[in-house]
Amino acid sequence: MTSAIEVHGLGKHFGAVVAVDDLSFEVAEGRVTGFLGPNGSGKTTTLRMLLGLVSITAGTATFGGRRYVDLPHPVRHVGAALEATSFHPSRRAEDHLRTVALAGGIPRSRVHEVLELVGLTDVARRRVGKFSLGMRQRLQLATALLGEPEILILDEPANGLDPQGIQWLRTFIRRQAADGHAVLVSSHLLSEMEETVDDVVIISQGRLVLQTTLAELSSKAGTSTGMRIRTPEINRLATVLNAVPVYWRQVGPDTLVIDGATPEWFGPFAAQHQIVLYELVHERGSLEDVFLDLTQGFDAAHPLEGGSGQSAPFQAPEDAR
Amino acid sequence: MTAAIRSELLKIRTTAVPWVLAAIAVLIEGLLLLVIFLSRDNPFDSGYTVPHTTQQLRNLLGSGFEGYLLALLLGVLMVTTEFRHKTVTTSYLTTPRRVEFVGAKIISGAILGALLAVLMLVVALVGGGLTLSARGGSFSGLVHQIPAVVPGFVLVFVLFAILGVGVGSIITNQVAAIIICLGWFIILEGILTSLVNAAYKWVPTGAAQAASNLTRGNHNGNDFTLFSWWQGALLMLAYGLVFAAIGSFLLSKRDIT
Repeated sequence: MTSAIEVHGLGKHFGAVVAVDDLSFEVAEGRVTGFLGPNGSGKTTTLRMLLGLVSITAGTATFGGRRYVDLPHPVRHVGAALEATSFHPSRRAEDHLRTVALAGGIPRSRVHEVLELVGLTDVARRRVGKFSLGMRQRLQLATALLGEPEILILDEPANGLDPQGIQWLRTFIRRQAADGHAVLVSSHLLSEMEETVDDVVIISQGRLVLQTTLAELSSKAGTSTGMRIRTPEINRLATVLNAVPVYWRQVGPDTLVIDGATPEWFGPFAAQHQIVLYELVHERGSLEDVFLDLTQGFDAAHPLEGGSGQSAPFQAPEDAR
Repeated sequence: MTAAIRSELLKIRTTAVPWVLAAIAVLIEGLLLLVIFLSRDNPFDSGYTVPHTTQQLRNLLGSGFEGYLLALLLGVLMVTTEFRHKTVTTSYLTTPRRVEFVGAKIISGAILGALLAVLMLVVALVGGGLTLSARGGSFSGLVHQIPAVVPGFVLVFVLFAILGVGVGSIITNQVAAIIICLGWFIILEGILTSLVNAAYKWVPTGAAQAASNLTRGNHNGNDFTLFSWWQGALLMLAYGLVFAAIGSFLLSKRDIT
């Protein structure tokens, strides 16, 4: 498995503002890599640095060892769909694709192939100004595919697509990877991508939080985040909880949550103190929770340590086991 | 580079810009012809004759000369439209080197500038020629002036289109670029040259006038001294290329976010 895209120590400063800082990751051939982070975390800036649209302050971003500007006929190697607004409104869809085909030395017949592929054949002669956001997204994809590139870079491609469109996009992306292409797809929602990606690169505040496989990330999810307990004896439970090193908080008149606790610990604990329970819910984190936890709680000063004060890992007291 | 130029020509062709400019050029040339012939219909001027001297015929054929401002506008719009509609993102993806991006526009702009010149000349020749013969003048007399007028006329349009691309690549804001261009050619240049007469041959208008003398002899509607035609042409080309080089450099530093 070789790397189609390599990013090493990439940095971007806008004046005093650091948008991307010392970012390194790789994108493998034949796999879909999700490039994830909250809005404003530097995803778009990074993708634009890769493509030579934004100048690089530090580090390198290369495709098989070459910078984008050094690729001969770059659109035949790297297809990029960046934002749905960059069309001339009075240009027809087909003409837009033809301008790209001409510049990239791509045969004209390919224009009709990609229009067919994204389902825009019927509106090929329509002016792009009349297109809906979803149609523009499809036209962006068609533009990216024009040169039959082996690397695809998609910036938030699901924006503006209806549920069927998103389903179509997923199938499409998976097929690209199955054909051996490398796909780097950005999103601020992991849930949108979790059925599509093989690998994840998570960034926050311009720095790498984590690069791993989706399988690895999933194993972090499904772990316990805490116990939700409803009891008529909330005051007595609070008293006994205060005697052990756990974080808890009251969330209702008769309900409290114990962070990080497991049923295996709390069941015997409640029995030992003879507390009556009405309800006992084991709360498990979703993949999205893991993602939010990694990005929101991320402290830029200590990358890779992750975690946050609010959800410090629960440690069951020795005597309670 | 050829690929980028062909793409560029298709890009501009698929917007309204060249068609609107062509329509304006035809309209202006038509109005100029109207003025030329109507102004001679003065009932109190018994000495009126249709244009017949060599100089009058050359002035008639080349009456659209100041249309070079349209060629300038064309060059400016070729660059600034990309920024206005953010199509520059796609253009950079296909043509990532900024020098090539600007270079393709210079050559396409030169081609389109020449076409604009030819369009105005054809209207002047056909419209002016037909009116002439209807009034007892000589159509063939006008046709004979083609070799004297056309090369310099076309050359100046080409040079102004290149200058426009240069200006547009420095000032990418469409409105600002147009205002600065018109402000210079309509107001500032006139003020400058009336204060410092010697500056006239150095400003684009003076250089263009010199360049247009390529074949039509040292005609000059005013008293300012001019460079020789090739000096004027080189000066204009230098303005265009220096601006384009500065523009390419600035574009290579400018982030497209």
